[in-house]
Amino acid sequence: MSDSTTVVVENGLAHVGPGFHEEQHIHPDPTNFIRHWIFSLDHKVIAKQFLWLGLAFLAWGGTMAMMIRWQIANPGRPFPVLGALFFPHAGGVMPPQAYSSFFTMHGTIMIFWAITPILIGCFGNLLIPLQIGARDMAFPTLNMMSFWTMFLATGVLVASFFVPMGAAAGGWQSYPTLSTNIGQPGPGQTMWVVAIFLAGSGTIMGAVNYITTVIRLRAPGMGYFDMPLAVWGIWLTAILNALFVPVLAAGMLLLFLDRTFGTHFFIAGQSVTKGGGDPVLYQHLFWIFGHPEVYILILPAWGIVSDLLSFFSRKPAFGYRATALSMTIISLLSMAVYGHHMFVVGMSPLLSQSFMTLTMLISIPSAVFFLNWLGTMYRGSIRFASPMLFSVGVVFVFGLGGLTGLHLGAIGTDIYLHDSYFVVGHFHLTMAASVLLGAFAAIYFWFPKMFGKMMDETLGKWHFWLTIVPLTVVFCGMLIVGYGGMQRRLYNYHDYQYLQHLHPVNVWVTRAALVLGASQFLFVYNFLKSLISGKKAGANPWEVGTLEWTVPSPPPHHNFDKIPVVVNGPHEFSNPRVKGKDWVAQNEPIGDLAPASSTLGAAGK
Amino acid sequence: MTPALPMATGRILPRSAEAEKRKTSYVGMVFALGSWTMLFAALFFSYAVLRLRAEAWPPEGAAPLPRLLPAVNTFVLLLSSFLLARGVRPEAAWAHGALKRALWGTLGLGTLFLVLQLAVWMPLWNAGFTIRSGTYGSIFYGLTVFHALHALAGLIALACLLPGTHAGRFNSGRQPAVRVTAMFWHFVDIVWLLMFIAVYLI
Repeated sequence: MSDSTTVVVENGLAHVGPGFHEEQHIHPDPTNFIRHWIFSLDHKVIAKQFLWLGLAFLAWGGTMAMMIRWQIANPGRPFPVLGALFFPHAGGVMPPQAYSSFFTMHGTIMIFWAITPILIGCFGNLLIPLQIGARDMAFPTLNMMSFWTMFLATGVLVASFFVPMGAAAGGWQSYPTLSTNIGQPGPGQTMWVVAIFLAGSGTIMGAVNYITTVIRLRAPGMGYFDMPLAVWGIWLTAILNALFVPVLAAGMLLLFLDRTFGTHFFIAGQSVTKGGGDPVLYQHLFWIFGHPEVYILILPAWGIVSDLLSFFSRKPAFGYRATALSMTIISLLSMAVYGHHMFVVGMSPLLSQSFMTLTMLISIPSAVFFLNWLGTMYRGSIRFASPMLFSVGVVFVFGLGGLTGLHLGAIGTDIYLHDSYFVVGHFHLTMAASVLLGAFAAIYFWFPKMFGKMMDETLGKWHFWLTIVPLTVVFCGMLIVGYGGMQRRLYNYHDYQYLQHLHPVNVWVTRAALVLGASQFLFVYNFLKSLISGKKAGANPWEVGTLEWTVPSPPPHHNFDKIPVVVNGPHEFSNPRVKGKDWVAQNEPIGDLAPASSTLGAAGK
Repeated sequence: MTPALPMATGRILPRSAEAEKRKTSYVGMVFALGSWTMLFAALFFSYAVLRLRAEAWPPEGAAPLPRLLPAVNTFVLLLSSFLLARGVRPEAAWAHGALKRALWGTLGLGTLFLVLQLAVWMPLWNAGFTIRSGTYGSIFYGLTVFHALHALAGLIALACLLPGTHAGRFNSGRQPAVRVTAMFWHFVDIVWLLMFIAVYLI
């Protein structure tokens, strides 16, 4: 350690000389199979573990969705192939109890076992160290424990399908009394509670790690407003996770005690002498977590899309700071709006109206970054590669989802639309469709960095169009039937005379859903084919400047041979002072400001 | 002349690897404890909601909770925090065996706390006031037992520091492992202080 330091510029890229960040010394890559692939401390390997877990459950949750849609459009008709496998006693037709269980587990799996592992577990792990110029996470062991805690939770969740009376069936929110021993006498619900508690613990471990890494391990010169927006999104998500997943954990703990030890936290109707529990208390705990959760799911996708739109428009992100700040403001506001999920429980009107006002305030920062997205693309030299197509898809789908949110944030319309398919359509557009498309954009974009191979562009484009069209039909169809008065979670809506005229829409939604499901095989094929025999990727196939593209694909075990020194923002495109290319790496000094090598005092001369 | 490079602005100062690691572990623990704070805050919130919605609190016919023993216990836990805080001061590195004595003292007082907790629970439970006795029993046992599990976890973590302390590897809170464990123990104590006030006094 000395009081002056060296910045070395080699091959046009700046990095620190000796004396800086020596706490991040290079560990050798373990050669032992178990330490390298299974109990790995390397954030890139852990990212891939999360990716495999998430993709497997995405397939499983998606299959459940197909079977749910089949039952809605064709009640009483056996589901092809899988029906006979799952429901042999009912002749392949999904029985009502199984239907409840399926929509419960579909929600649980998609939220906690598909989106969370892919967007947060995989891309959080992959991108944070690589994009901020660090050699690994701040706490690699904690990172490994985070994945294996999640794995343990997965074991409990999968096992719950095979216990007597089957998996949980109280809805993904598991409101009491649907989720107490009265509504769910089987062990499946208890295992659900345990699985969510464990998954939450793993998420918190990851969150603490991400927050600390971003605060402490940014490369020299990288201020918060020099970080790629993807890191901003993931970082804000991690903060919300660290603060609000514990509230869900508290709810799970109390529900577990109610189910197992006979406590009365959520069980109403006890005699006056004992004091009565309160089912609505659970709803408070659930939504104090649950509203930040929807932003937890979407923020990484927002960040990734904000970056990709700039990368493929070959322009700096329009209003970079405004985008980062509006995501921050939304994160703050998301902590104070949860009551809009509970307008019908009988809250005081004063409280309801406060929640409504706060909810409506979210449209302001949302509109800011949405317009920034459009501003980024406006007059850009857009390259329509598959990651860009999926990013534009997010802009479109999120626009639809955001606008329908206004109907649900306003008390007057929400009371009519509450618990209808309109809600289902809305939240799928915002936190399912947008996030799914964002995840695909991210996978197509960072696949070369993760695996060193390119994905097939033609198949990618087919996959995009065969996804976005049916997806829009599915969720807009749900908005229509919901507006027409159809309740969510109905096993057989043909039992209700007043819903009969919605039958054609429901049938079309199911057809589109089956097309959507089938077209995902294109992705699976493309993914596996590219993994095995894809074209070899160079260090920077997309020609962008963030730090992960300055190292080889895939990066070495320690990411950076020398810690970079950041001198540019993340979207330095089409800079007129740069000749011969339209992008600049974040650690590439521009033009005549670039010294061959320099020794600088640390005190700021 | 290199005005564009951030080193020149003095934003980045070199620090030793130990200092960097110390600060990183501290930042991580602050956020971990923030997370734990939200967990207990949610439990206190649940208590508040149930209590405010109850017709009477404590419910009619419920035996009054003892106050003397829990008060003594609060003192025991605060004393343990005080001892530990002295043991992990940077100055402790120069006082021979200061951390070792503080750890043993904290472990002793922490164990005494758990024993006294059992002494509070057992007579109540035997008198028929159990975790199944409506929301009053649910809250009382739910909160205090969950806290006691955290105290136990804290004691185990403190005990894990003993070998390193006896071997001379740890001598004060300058070592990140010692510092973060002490932070966790203080957190457990602060939660108890609030729980004592919320459950027994008001």
